[in-house]
Amino acid sequence: MVDAFFLLFEWQNLLFLFIGTALGIVVGAIPGLTASMLIALTLPLTFHMDPVSAVTLLIGEYVGGISGGLITAILLRMPGTPASIVTTFDGYPMAMQGKAERALALGIMASVVGGIISWGFLAGMSPALARFALQFGPWEYFTLVLMALVMLAVLSQGSLTKGLLAATLGMAFALPGIDSSIGQARLTFGSSTMLSGFGLLPVLIGAFAISQILRDAATPQSSTTMAIPKKRLPIYRSDVRYAGKLLRGSVIGTWIGLLPGIGANIAALMSYSTEKQLSPEPEKFGTGHEPGVIAAESANNASIGGALIPLITMGIPGSVTEAILIGALTIHNLQPGPLLFQNAPEIAYGIIAAYLVANVLMLMLMWGTVRYIAQIVRLPRSGLMAVILVFCVTGSYAVNSSFADVWVMVAFGVIGLGLEFCRVPLGPFVIGFVLSPIAEEQLRASLMMSDGDVTEILSRPYALLFLALAILTVAWPYVFARMRKGENAAKGESS
Amino acid sequence: MTEATRRSIADLVLSLLVAGGAVILFIGAADLPPPRFEPLGSAALPRILGALLLLFAAILALRAGLRLHRGWVAPKAEVNGADPRKGFAVLLALILYVLALDVLRVPFVAATTVFVVVVGLSIGARNWRNLLVFAGLGLVLSLAISTILSRFLFITIG
Repeated sequence: MVDAFFLLFEWQNLLFLFIGTALGIVVGAIPGLTASMLIALTLPLTFHMDPVSAVTLLIGEYVGGISGGLITAILLRMPGTPASIVTTFDGYPMAMQGKAERALALGIMASVVGGIISWGFLAGMSPALARFALQFGPWEYFTLVLMALVMLAVLSQGSLTKGLLAATLGMAFALPGIDSSIGQARLTFGSSTMLSGFGLLPVLIGAFAISQILRDAATPQSSTTMAIPKKRLPIYRSDVRYAGKLLRGSVIGTWIGLLPGIGANIAALMSYSTEKQLSPEPEKFGTGHEPGVIAAESANNASIGGALIPLITMGIPGSVTEAILIGALTIHNLQPGPLLFQNAPEIAYGIIAAYLVANVLMLMLMWGTVRYIAQIVRLPRSGLMAVILVFCVTGSYAVNSSFADVWVMVAFGVIGLGLEFCRVPLGPFVIGFVLSPIAEEQLRASLMMSDGDVTEILSRPYALLFLALAILTVAWPYVFARMRKGENAAKGESS
Repeated sequence: MTEATRRSIADLVLSLLVAGGAVILFIGAADLPPPRFEPLGSAALPRILGALLLLFAAILALRAGLRLHRGWVAPKAEVNGADPRKGFAVLLALILYVLALDVLRVPFVAATTVFVVVVGLSIGARNWRNLLVFAGLGLVLSLAISTILSRFLFITIG
């Protein structure tokens, strides 16, 4: 770990971390632009970079992207990212009461504390969890991937069927190309261009950036007035009274982040509702109450640290952003998972170290520049969208110097837009696309090892546990609905 | 058309497209050789996913049909004053831009400058000031990107 910090403090790595965090904050602050979109767009630039520099840039973007959302959430009641939706509940009323500086100061402080506490979990748990995961064989990996996919599909917004459909569609789009197990072309229909399948980057850029821009282009820009902060951001000595709330929000955020598919916005919502339930004055929440901002911001930032734990120890992405990070590591011939700590410790520990330093950089940047960022987000977005589209085209082209990838990007932009129109969540779609090759490889390896005997799974307790959890995740909404129905019927009879 | 009808029709169209996708998977899988060295083979996953897609498409279609039949009332859609024509204009501009670079071999700087102007004016206010601003922005951006691509990454575009 110490070596990772030394490596991180080399000037080029620190510079990339700084650039990534700054870019992330600005993009996170702009409503409609997200950390996932930024990471997908900058991924082509990392091809030619040293893997450590690439990872530090992307981690900086991730941390900055989630944190930057609080600026517009507080000043405009427009969350820059979905993770900051809950911050608007009390942050905006505080700004309207003339306490914008105080709300921003508390939000920034809570974000940093949340980040640092979740870093503690990340640094403490990851190596041990990775050692534990080394015991896993193909059956365990296959069921783990299946469980992550099912959880993601079930827990994403909208209907269960559409979540599962999205994951299956994503997996299906990953099928064309050369079947790596036997070297046979599959679903290419005679096209030589299809031999390499659909590239990860064009798919990601298309599904997220292009579909988002096409949707935003049709939506008018908000004309809400904004209270630009004028004074310095105040933190008082008496704020130590919030230590317990900060710790609670951070722990909730970290544990929610660990679960695939739940995400920073739900972490913030759970932390906020817990704080409200525990508060002696719950009626104040939603009216500009300081603990509301603290609960939301500490949890949403802490969820990043939590989500990075399954990513680096088992190669399981908890959200789209982590799926893109897996893509980034794969591009550099690095396989996230337990062996990452053995094969590329500088990357595994580098991610952990970069996450801590990115939080500190985020504090410095946001503290010093929040009023200027607040003005940037009010610039007309028409030019910004045109610029992003140009980056999308050049980024997709730069992967293989091929316009076929650019067409794939455009096609997936339209597919993404169509899916969103039909209320099919994009998260499971993209994660299905990323995890499909891993799931297939592990399933085929498992069956080869057991001579096609599926009952072999019964002798693998962890695989059985993951499978049971996956089945329970799908069945739970129905079981819960039946239980509620039964309870209501019993209540009706007794009354 | 009510929100409920719109959503049900969208689901029906989606289920048809998904079923079509599943059929493509089955056709593609039929061309693949049977497994020789391993139990599962190359065609297994396309068939499994195809079957799942057919199942989900059937559920979606059934639900949409029932909703239409029962006269389901959808929750009111959020009114945000969206103008889908702007989205289509941007998509069309993007397709023409890629076409210009790929097929017509228009130089990157010229194509990008025009593209930025067209997209900027499609989304934002159409006036002479904006035209000049977007033209300047497009020119600077395209020159910067082509310099970075050619000098540092050794990539030629357009």
